Amino acid sequence: MTEYTRRKFLRRAAVSLGLLTSGWLLPGCSGEELVTPFPSPTPVPPTPPAVATGEPSGDTAQPTVTSTPGETEVPRPTATPERSLAQPDLVVARGGEPEEMVRRALAALGGMEQFVKAGDHVVIKPNICVAYHSYEYAATTNPWVVGALVKLALEAGAGQVRVMDYPFGGSAEQAYVKSGIQEQVEKAGSQMETMTRFKFVDTEIPAGLDLQRCKIYDGVLKADVVIDVPIAKHHGLARLTLGMKNLMGVIYDRPAMHRNLGQRLADLSSRVRPTLTVVDAVRMLMDHGPTGGKLDDVKKADTIIASSDIVAADSYAATLFGLRPDELAYVRAGTEMGLGRGDLESLRIEEISVGG
Amino acid sequence: MDREGLRQWWPPSRWMTLRWVGIRRVIQVLAFVGFLMLFIWSRRGGWPASLVNAPMRLDPLAMLAHLLASRTFLASSALALSVVLLTLVAGRVWCGWLCPLGTLLDWIPLRNWRRHQVQVPDGLRGVKYGLLLTILVAAIFTNLTLLVLDPLTILFRTLSTAVWPAVDQLVTAAETALYNIPLLQPAVAAFDARVRPVALPIEPVFYRYTLLYAGFFVAVVATNLLASRFWCRYLCPLGALLGLISKIGLVRRQVTHRCTECGACESVCPTGAIQRERSFTSDPGECTMCMACSAACPAEAIKFPAGAPAPRWRAYDPDRRHLLTALGASIAGVGLFGSNLLAARDHSRLIRPPGARENDLLNKCIRCGECNRACPTSAIQPAVSEAGLEGVWTPVLVPRAGYCDYSCNACGQVCPVQAIPPLSLEDKRRRVIGKAYIDENRCIAWADNEDCIVCEEMCPVPDKAIVLDETAVLDAEGSRVMVQRPTVIRERCIGCGICEYKCPVNGEAAIRVYVPPEECGDLSF
Repeated sequence: MTEYTRRKFLRRAAVSLGLLTSGWLLPGCSGEELVTPFPSPTPVPPTPPAVATGEPSGDTAQPTVTSTPGETEVPRPTATPERSLAQPDLVVARGGEPEEMVRRALAALGGMEQFVKAGDHVVIKPNICVAYHSYEYAATTNPWVVGALVKLALEAGAGQVRVMDYPFGGSAEQAYVKSGIQEQVEKAGSQMETMTRFKFVDTEIPAGLDLQRCKIYDGVLKADVVIDVPIAKHHGLARLTLGMKNLMGVIYDRPAMHRNLGQRLADLSSRVRPTLTVVDAVRMLMDHGPTGGKLDDVKKADTIIASSDIVAADSYAATLFGLRPDELAYVRAGTEMGLGRGDLESLRIEEISVGG
Repeated sequence: MDREGLRQWWPPSRWMTLRWVGIRRVIQVLAFVGFLMLFIWSRRGGWPASLVNAPMRLDPLAMLAHLLASRTFLASSALALSVVLLTLVAGRVWCGWLCPLGTLLDWIPLRNWRRHQVQVPDGLRGVKYGLLLTILVAAIFTNLTLLVLDPLTILFRTLSTAVWPAVDQLVTAAETALYNIPLLQPAVAAFDARVRPVALPIEPVFYRYTLLYAGFFVAVVATNLLASRFWCRYLCPLGALLGLISKIGLVRRQVTHRCTECGACESVCPTGAIQRERSFTSDPGECTMCMACSAACPAEAIKFPAGAPAPRWRAYDPDRRHLLTALGASIAGVGLFGSNLLAARDHSRLIRPPGARENDLLNKCIRCGECNRACPTSAIQPAVSEAGLEGVWTPVLVPRAGYCDYSCNACGQVCPVQAIPPLSLEDKRRRVIGKAYIDENRCIAWADNEDCIVCEEMCPVPDKAIVLDETAVLDAEGSRVMVQRPTVIRERCIGCGICEYKCPVNGEAAIRVYVPPEECGDLSF
């Protein structure tokens, strides 16, 4: 047996450390790739996007959202060519069980297959902001809405569906259970992911006007499909928290967002770009949001809004609260940046009454 | 060596004693791992609180002192009787076989670092008895401060406030670095997904004075430089209590007539209990029953029979002088603590865990640290100066480190002595532990005229204890702008501190929680 001397030990330690660091530095040479590991074939162009998007892009009979002329290229164009011209930009389903409403709304959008391809990695981002209350208090997304989306994604052949949020009050584990979302997600055949610190990677936001860099969760950046599932609720600063506000859950330093919140939310949305936004308005929290806790503040609306356009979805949801879309700073900023369309009049909206 | 030679060198009967030492080592490992598992799981709430806090309830010193100081008997503390019983039967088996701190001191003997053989006077063994008596007398005067010297509380506090946060920092730094290597990403992610939910925090954990706790522990371990298990021999008050009990124990070490007086046992005894001048016998109060001596004995002269003759009382054992000194020290200490201003008028930041303020925490808290371990946000930290010397290492909420989670009542559940009452979640949510105050000179909305509202957003109270008033103010150009300014509604605030924790102002927050104004102490005028 050879003796393991201190000298030998130090030498080996130095060699292995050297190997490790070189392994770390080498991929660093390829630079930006590492910082922004985004698999999209068409990266967001850094050109100022706020050109021809204020106006409703000419013809309203031209309903495809993502190919609107002059609009910023969407990193993942969600299979636009396959969609027929009759398909709506936005679907509102009303008056049924949550799962039924989600299924009907997605069917009206052309089916989940429009968004999820076989083998895709799908991330579903509900709003699970606190671990305080069960879903009846409307602080967290309806569990059956999330469950239905998991099922639809799996039925469409997704390779992997993960559901996650980063609560600000209480632990994720607790919040997942308390909200009832974990139970429904597991029943639907998927699982929750706990968002761990080191996976928030420093990411550039090329189209960002105010927020140009921030730490975004790697799992979300790398996903083929991100489905944003906010619950419609009141918020002191943003007025309402909807799809764009819900994306705050995928970044690490949230207090930094609060200055110039509207623009920064739009900047963030330009980078994360959910493929699909489904606003849960089964229950709406009308006051004391985002944390809630009083059933008196909850309004049962039995409504689901689905769209591939996050700005459109948020705009429509604003009307449920009696607000004009342009009263929300992030909708204004998102429209100006060309992330989507907030002019509800020009959108092709299909309303479905599910009826129970 | 041939078979015969082997038999001569190592006679078969010797395997028996060796096996005992082997069994002891296995039990030490198991007990230590068990302690560590309970430590880890006391954070997650995955295991019932009554199981998680079992080590503290096994501790007869803490339970006895609590009984004396609080004048309440808790049925759950009767678990400590099992250790008393064990000691009555087999002496200080706790110290030699079970105590996790003792095990650690065995594992870090520092033998090779001991350059000079220091002769520690045997009389120093009396220190631990003095400490024990001081603790018990002070407990009768309702003071439990010196329980900070209990071995279980020392180890537990060190693990939770120093070792665990530091391990998390290191692991996370390593993960972050390795995650940058694309090739390793899946492996790092898989490792984290497996390990973190079990053993590490999701959010980083911060404690104040981590170096103090680490240093205290290092000092305890460093005493091994003077003599092996120095702590257990001379200082440990729990060891003293068990030592006194084991003097009337049943099973004892006995040296038979086969002894050749070679002195092998004396040199291996970890507590130096074997005395050459008394023909290699030992005091059961000092012997930890580790059986190293019988394994080392070439003549197989050492037995552990039941009912061996009781030893004579030693010079370092407590006598009247000890008793009187301890009594005097405790009374003087209690008097001095009591005349400290902090005993009458609370430190303004002495925010106690829910329900503890109304509960005479100081008479009950055994300083075990289970609550600060269980607190999911690390809001509960050991007090250093807020409660005076008397309340050192009692729990205090530090909102800048963490907030009292609206969905959590773990501290009261895990407290082994109900110093923090076991409240239902509904009840806990209504307990006022402090009140929040806005510092208008530093608040972004008040001082800088910018919208922020983080405190209002975070407030978990269903009606919101922080409300926003839209106010017109003049900006730098002299034009009117609207700004939302937060105000605290005193009646609604429960003092959970999430506003202070999340306040984006650097350094000290612009909204801070202080003790409830109506309960600032007993000072009457």
